[in-house]
Amino acid sequence: MDPLSTPKNETKKKLRPASWQVALVAIFLFYMLLPIISTYVFSVATRWDRTILPEGYTLEFYAKAIQASYFTITLRNSFILSISTVLVSLLIIVPTVYWVHTRLGRAKPLLDILMILPFGIPTVVLALALIQVYHFPPLARSPVLLIGAVVVYSMPFMYRPVSNALQALDVQTLTEAGQSLGANIFQVLYRIVIPNIVTGLLSGSLLVFSTVFAEYTLTSLIVGARFKTFPLLLVEFTRINGNIAAAFSVISFTIAWLVSMLILWVGSKGQKATTEGIRAH
Amino acid sequence: MAYLDLKNVSKSFAGTLAVKDFNLEIEKGTLVAFLGPSGCGKTTTLRMIAGFEQLDSGTILLDNSDISSVPPNRRDIGMVFQSYALFPNLTVRENIAFGLEMKKTPKKDAEKRVNQVLDMVRLQETAKRFPHQLSGGQQQRIALARALAVQPRVLLLDEPLSALDAEVRVVLRGEIRRIQSELAITTVYVTHDQEEALSISDKVVVMNKGIIEQVGAPEEIYRAPQTRFVATFIGTANQFHGKVDGRESVDCGIVRLLTEPLKDFINGQSVVVLVRPENIQVQLEPPGEGRWNSIPGVVETITFHGAVTRLGVNAGGQRVVADITVSNTKPVALNQKIWLQFTPDMCQVMVADE
Repeated sequence: MDPLSTPKNETKKKLRPASWQVALVAIFLFYMLLPIISTYVFSVATRWDRTILPEGYTLEFYAKAIQASYFTITLRNSFILSISTVLVSLLIIVPTVYWVHTRLGRAKPLLDILMILPFGIPTVVLALALIQVYHFPPLARSPVLLIGAVVVYSMPFMYRPVSNALQALDVQTLTEAGQSLGANIFQVLYRIVIPNIVTGLLSGSLLVFSTVFAEYTLTSLIVGARFKTFPLLLVEFTRINGNIAAAFSVISFTIAWLVSMLILWVGSKGQKATTEGIRAH
Repeated sequence: MAYLDLKNVSKSFAGTLAVKDFNLEIEKGTLVAFLGPSGCGKTTTLRMIAGFEQLDSGTILLDNSDISSVPPNRRDIGMVFQSYALFPNLTVRENIAFGLEMKKTPKKDAEKRVNQVLDMVRLQETAKRFPHQLSGGQQQRIALARALAVQPRVLLLDEPLSALDAEVRVVLRGEIRRIQSELAITTVYVTHDQEEALSISDKVVVMNKGIIEQVGAPEEIYRAPQTRFVATFIGTANQFHGKVDGRESVDCGIVRLLTEPLKDFINGQSVVVLVRPENIQVQLEPPGEGRWNSIPGVVETITFHGAVTRLGVNAGGQRVVADITVSNTKPVALNQKIWLQFTPDMCQVMVADE
């Protein structure tokens, strides 16, 4: 036996979490999961205001939700908005952050501060300001303006993971190594940098997608009924029927969840080596 | 005719001069080491040759053509980095093939070439692994193979061994030298480690504060340093301050040192006499007659260094170090009175800095 294995086992025993730690995690999970579970249950409940558990269960609200006019259109619009935002974000953020990391290190603190701003500015203010500034056609109140707005609004979610991934990579030296081997900057980006930050790109894309898929304020104020998205439809139904609104929530949540799974699955294909490589780096 | 020729190259960063009026001719097929303390401009100079830094002024000629404004990916100059800089997403084979692929080498030729360089660095068996599965020494050998695969005109090595253990360092520097001479590739090697520079290069360029202090063969640099910086940076040297006193001696206060004929000095000029510790003999008895320098002193410290033992001696208030070997000296004890002896040709006389 390896003489080192005995102390190792002892450490493992010591590392078993204390009961207060277990309790803390349990409370946290309960706090996080309760609203989701309630929404799920509410969406299939016949009546749930006189008893602790619903009086009966039904799928009728889902049928009604799917039959609602605008259901497909809003779903489609939400997909268009989320996917375009992810793509625009990737195209703007990745080259910028790469450039700042390799050539313009001094600009990094500035960028870090800029990326906090979307959290600081109330969405309503952002929307009203954009409507005032871009009041001329074809931008005025257009889906394009909306995409521009949500790109800004969701930018930190793309910036952080990408910046962290580049930070972990010593991207400057890798770029120079690539250049000394005859690669131009695009080849370096395509062959070396991007494959090594795929994990960051994926988590950024995921965060942006799910944020934008559930975005209400900007959409409602900038385009409103001209380009109705799923959250708009959902809010509309909270005023009509809570159960159907709950069904919409569940559908929205499930879609975001499925898309996350899909992105993670695509990313994990052939990515194992890279992730390990980066971890070892 | 020089193959790589740096003419009046200067570079500053934010107002601080990093490299000042650098002139150097490097012959084809030689290994030249840039040696100096950190911040001396050696890496900056290397990066200018690679094309990663722009020159403020001057030109760099490679094979008689000006490459100063050629982008790094078109210079045909290979580089090995301190941090290896292998691409983590590619296997060893893919890493080495990367440059060939950029050059659009036919697949078959590329594969052959990859195998050749893998043999050269003796790591054929690692071809399918990823960089993180290799040790530091192996990674650096792969990095070397990758740089050599494209047959660059010049190979640049930027502190290639600094991140490795002492043992691996010594082995790998021998490997680098072997491969370099086999291929007869013009190589510039940046290091702050004097032993490394002296042991593997044809020529050493000692740099300090952005300027060249001395260029010469390793032995020349060690035996005949031309500046006080070189004398003290390379190896250890005792310094005796004094004034020229006659044609063949310097008055140093505690002692009058006999030297070789002082042709380039005038009487009374302030000078420094440098004596290497290994050139000093330690005697337990007062010396007899002869043309020797002899300084009495008391042993204050004894430090064992393996092959030699270094004595710290108080000689009339000045600290002098002398290296002794067990075989040539009788045992010495702390606080023992001894005589330090060295011949006039062991004294190197230099003008004292103001």
